[in-house]
Amino acid sequence: MAGAKNHDYHILAPDIWPFMGALSALVFTSGMVMYMHRASEAFPAGTWQIVWGLGIAGLIATFWGWFSKIINEAHAGDHTPVVQLHMRYGMILFILSEVMFFVGWFWAFFDFALFPAPIQEIAEGTWQNLIGQEGAGPLAVFPPDGMHVIDPFDLPLLNTLILLCSGTTVTWAHHCLINGDREGLKLGLWGTIALGVLFTAIQAYEYMHAPFGFGGNTYSSAFYMATGFHGFHVLVGTIFLIVCLRRAYLGHFTPRQHFGFEAAAWYWHFVDVVWLFLFISVYVWGGWGAEIH
Amino acid sequence: MATTADTFQAHDDAHDHHDADHKPGFIARWFMSTNHKDIGTLYLIFAVIAGVIGGGISGIMRMELAAPGIQYLGWWAEFMGGGADLDTALHMWNVFITAHGLIMVFFMVMPAMIGGFGNWFVPLMIGAPDMAFPRMNNISFWLTVAGFCSLLFSLFVPGGIGPGAGTGWTVYAPLSTSGSVGPAVDFAIFSLHLAGAGSILGATNFITTIFNMRAPGMTLHKMPLFVWSVLVTAFLLLLALPVLAAAITMLITDRNFGTTFFDPAGGGDPVLYQHLFWFFGHPEVYIMILPGFGMISQIVATFSRKPVFGYLGMAYAMVAIGVVGFIVWAHHMYTVGLDVNTKMYFTAATMVIAVPTGVKIFSWIATMWGGSLEFKSPMVWALGFIFLFTVGGVTGVVLANGGVDDNLHDTYYVVAHFHYVLSMGAVFSIFAGLYYWFPKMSGRWHSELLAHIHFWVFFVGVNLVFFPMHFLGVQGMPRRYPDYVEAYSFWNEVSTIGYGIVALSVLIFFANMVYAFTAGRRAEANYWGPGATTLEWTLSSPPPFHQFETLPVIEDHHDYHNHLPGGQEKPATA
Amino acid sequence: MPTAATFRDIRRLVIGMLALVALAIAIQPALATTPSVAAPDTAGEAEAAAQTPADGEGAETQDAAGEGEAAYEYLGPEWIKGQPTSFEEDPWKSMTFQDQYTDDGKYALGMNNYILIPVIVAISAFVLFLLMVVVVRYRRREGREPSRTTHNTLIEVIWTIVPVIILIVIAVPSITLLARQYETPPENAITIKATGYQWYWGYTYPDQGGFEVISNMLPAEEALSAGLPAQLAVDNRMVVPVGVPLRIQTFGADVIHSFAVPSLWFKLDAIPGRLNERMLTIEEPGIYYGQCSELCGARHAYMPIAIEAVPMDRWRQWVLSKGGSFGEEAETAEQMDIQAPASATEGAPAAGGAPTAADDGGTAPSVPLDASETEGAESTN
Ligand code: HEA
Ligand code: HEA
Ligand code: CUA
Ligand SMILES: [Cu+2]
Repeated sequence: MAGAKNHDYHILAPDIWPFMGALSALVFTSGMVMYMHRASEAFPAGTWQIVWGLGIAGLIATFWGWFSKIINEAHAGDHTPVVQLHMRYGMILFILSEVMFFVGWFWAFFDFALFPAPIQEIAEGTWQNLIGQEGAGPLAVFPPDGMHVIDPFDLPLLNTLILLCSGTTVTWAHHCLINGDREGLKLGLWGTIALGVLFTAIQAYEYMHAPFGFGGNTYSSAFYMATGFHGFHVLVGTIFLIVCLRRAYLGHFTPRQHFGFEAAAWYWHFVDVVWLFLFISVYVWGGWGAEIH
Repeated sequence: MATTADTFQAHDDAHDHHDADHKPGFIARWFMSTNHKDIGTLYLIFAVIAGVIGGGISGIMRMELAAPGIQYLGWWAEFMGGGADLDTALHMWNVFITAHGLIMVFFMVMPAMIGGFGNWFVPLMIGAPDMAFPRMNNISFWLTVAGFCSLLFSLFVPGGIGPGAGTGWTVYAPLSTSGSVGPAVDFAIFSLHLAGAGSILGATNFITTIFNMRAPGMTLHKMPLFVWSVLVTAFLLLLALPVLAAAITMLITDRNFGTTFFDPAGGGDPVLYQHLFWFFGHPEVYIMILPGFGMISQIVATFSRKPVFGYLGMAYAMVAIGVVGFIVWAHHMYTVGLDVNTKMYFTAATMVIAVPTGVKIFSWIATMWGGSLEFKSPMVWALGFIFLFTVGGVTGVVLANGGVDDNLHDTYYVVAHFHYVLSMGAVFSIFAGLYYWFPKMSGRWHSELLAHIHFWVFFVGVNLVFFPMHFLGVQGMPRRYPDYVEAYSFWNEVSTIGYGIVALSVLIFFANMVYAFTAGRRAEANYWGPGATTLEWTLSSPPPFHQFETLPVIEDHHDYHNHLPGGQEKPATA
Repeated sequence: MPTAATFRDIRRLVIGMLALVALAIAIQPALATTPSVAAPDTAGEAEAAAQTPADGEGAETQDAAGEGEAAYEYLGPEWIKGQPTSFEEDPWKSMTFQDQYTDDGKYALGMNNYILIPVIVAISAFVLFLLMVVVVRYRRREGREPSRTTHNTLIEVIWTIVPVIILIVIAVPSITLLARQYETPPENAITIKATGYQWYWGYTYPDQGGFEVISNMLPAEEALSAGLPAQLAVDNRMVVPVGVPLRIQTFGADVIHSFAVPSLWFKLDAIPGRLNERMLTIEEPGIYYGQCSELCGARHAYMPIAIEAVPMDRWRQWVLSKGGSFGEEAETAEQMDIQAPASATEGAPAAGGAPTAADDGGTAPSVPLDASETEGAESTN
């Protein structure tokens, strides 16, 4: 075995980032536990910030270091067509798993929406549910009676349009890239990122002015967790696009080889589709009949 | 950041084996690995450690259950730093069963089968030099370790009444939310997040590898059945684990951030958690057995010197099990108050799985029929598997009947059922696979005699442990009880005696390993002879650090499943 | 390849199978007809027995922890019917289901004994038998070439179709059993709401004034000295009338518990925020023990269930002794409420536990409520 490789697969040198990444993840989740139990004497005061911070820092360093390596390897020519195919498969499968993650949140949402908590009425008009909670009558409908929801055809509709637009801008950028129009690529990316940031800003505004708080009932729980995880994915997607933009300025990507860009675009479309489902089921259908804020 | 390359260069000759491969130094090799065989080895070592811990905990459990009353739990509670009162002692029991279940499922069986054997042999069997994402492969492993650490942390912090998470491996709300204050349950939940993330990444890696890296000429329908089994398993992981991730994230936010997913005071529903959990949990049980099916297929064919009978039926039976496995989850929830139609549907759907599983059982037997059987140790484990898995499977069919399950749910009958399919099914296939491939992986022979003794002692032991549990179950003994009614004492005692025999067999296993590494003969490339036809047998034992630098070619006339692999006629590429 | 030897094997195999099935069926009657515990069987005797001083002990136990001045005397240990059997008492019974005292239970037990057990024993034995055949016949010998057969459509179809048929044979009684278990209780069925608390049970009788009986496990010494099984005996049993349909509702006050009585083939989870409901008719007077069957925390093993089934008039006596009441002068306890929904999961409870009984602390009083308090609390939903 002379060590001459006669295939196009990518054989990698040992790398510390996987270990660091897993370690950071463990430190991060442990920091989370410490934060959530910061009042408990199980953890000395002031430790959670350190642990949690270290975890976050480690995760950021891992992503940075790891993806830098991938980019360098791409430039070194390691990403042969078959390796690029791997990445396509990997990205599609990753997105598939993300879809199933959202299935979990939608499942919860539809369970609450279709089968609100049973309520009984007892003497003298006091409402009580099965756990004997006084005045629980509102919980028998979804969204809970008397709850004000966000008007779906106000900012959420705007956000829908923003995301749809961003889907076209990212496709525009892609076409420019394929046709060798670097300026168009940058412009398209700028546009997409701007729309993404705008979406996030509007979403943040909407959260801050939402007529209901984070927890307390099923509507707000399902609402914030589902849209919140979507928002988190928008953030990740935006960062992904920013990386692509920076790479575009550095002269990366060729009309034939630009998987980093494509992955970002796929991810962005995925996030977009999730939003459409959120908009239709949570904002429009889910809030139907409730009082609009 | 640039240090990795340096470490790679600084390789350590002392660790080199006879084949003069270019291997990295110790740290780089074992902590920074991008080599599927090394990562597979890490997984196997990890699984053995977890198996010893999980098995040890079950020993504590069996000791406690040897007689009615609370014997040792008080001592354990104090040992773990809890109070000396009865409730803390009882809580310790729940902590033990939770740890035992989680460790065995997530940190023993899955790492051994998918991480260990999958990593080692999927690339070898499809003629690939490595996995598709060698670096991501490594983080899958370390995330599993991180998950295990998080679970261990949970044992030493408060979990409500005493230290540790006492929720059962199913982590049902509201016992796991409002019912268990304290950080232990959060650590346990994050343990599943971490291990789950590792498994999802691993699943994408396997699917990509199997779809894209098959040697030229190896069509999907020429793939060895073990590869098929890992492919189906990977899809189950990919689709089921994210739903678990969502469910346990809801637990975290219910516990700490005021959401009310499972809290009826806010309109939430504890049963929703069970739906989400079992939507993952049922596919999970097939995740734990399908790779075993794959290994048994290889082994049975090898030692019968016959091609697998009904290859396509075998492959698609696994696909069918995987698909149907997604639509039967509520058979774990027959007593939660489902309506009658739902219960009828899940009864019928669950029973359907017996059909493809039966196809597999009978095809294995048909593979042996007319063969030339040689009873090497992997084959005896495989034979044991086929019988004991059937026993576990048919009690599953009893449980599948919603009306019958009313009496059996949450009794020891269920415990008996799942240990027959897991502690016998899955574990037998792991040992079968281990003895089958151990010389291939290590280059050294274990003792076949000890392997046979290990089999017989283990066989007697586990049957003694778990068969009486059927009796306890039909007599009504509930699970997750540290203390039981006097009338149950006889069969519990038998079961605990059985555990002693199992423990002895595990010692024999370790003796065998020690023997192999100290005095084991060197193994040649194809030590099982002409019955072993898949590509790993064309390579030296152990295979070179990087194999198939020139890809093997599977030509058309090499009808792979009729035992004429292309690789065999070519010189080993090593 | 299909030689005479093969046919011989197949012949043996079929005969072996038939023999096994016959055996499995033959042992069933033995199983089903084992005599029940030596307790008096009729209601008349029940009363007689209850009045003899002999079971004063059992009554005392209940009284000691319960409600003083009751005219009601509890059944003594000789009335225990639903409890596990130890190996020492009867090895065979220690390996089988408990005797059944409900119609559905008997049906389910019959299904288990005459269909499931024979089928699964036969399948396991069949697989074992085939394995033995191949192991003996096809072990490696000098000079014999292994066959290369990899396909045989007929046999593959057979081993797909035959399991399907077997499963259908199982499915028919299985579905029937489910349908029976889900029969809607008649309107006048007596409602009892079993609430699981960490870690004891509370039994509310909404139609009899809504009093709640709190049922705690007896300490082992106390149980044993009363001749009752430790870890199953309780201070206050859930007393119900025998032979009439009961509407059992289960509910969890804190975490999930499960109301399970093996000898009645009954198990229903008690879940916070849900009210589950199932009909139960106990056929014979007696004491039936069960245990909480859903992990609910530390003392999950220590919250047993004890049902005492007695003739209607004695049950009424018990209700009165608990401070309960009967709305109308009816022969049987009439229900005062509109009908409860058949499917418990979505519905609301008919009468609603009396509000005063719903104190959520771990120390709900076992003092019966003043009946008048809830008398008029008719549900309107
Ligand atoms: C490897 C893991 C594994 C496997 C493979 C299985 C396989 C099966 N399981 Fe099991 N099961 C578990 C692990 C597993 N299970 C675990 C861990 C639990 C408990 C979880 C918990 O609560 O903690 C559980 C619980 C469980 C329950 C819930 C019980 C309860 O809690 O009340 C049920 C109910 O339907 C069930 C059914 C089945 C069925 C029908 C199969 C089938 O797939 C079996 C099919 C196989 C055969 C039938 C044998 C071979 C077939 C033939 C020889 C053909 C002829 C056969 C017939 C015609 C019948 N299982
Ligand atoms: C794969 C899964 C697995 C395995 C192997 C086992 C193995 C054993 N289990 Fe358990 N068990 C569970 C999964 C498993 N279990 C689960 C999920 C539960 C439910 C938990 C809950 O209720 O929440 C449970 C619950 C459970 C209970 C019920 C507790 C209760 O309800 O109160 C009991 C009681 O006796 C028990 C006992 C045992 C015993 C004696 C063994 C013995 O067989 C152990 C002997 C040791 C081994 C067989 C390990 C040997 C393996 C190795 C050393 C590694 C080898 C690795 C390589 C070669 C790579 N287990
Ligand atoms: Cu209550 Cu278990
Ligand atoms: Cu299942």
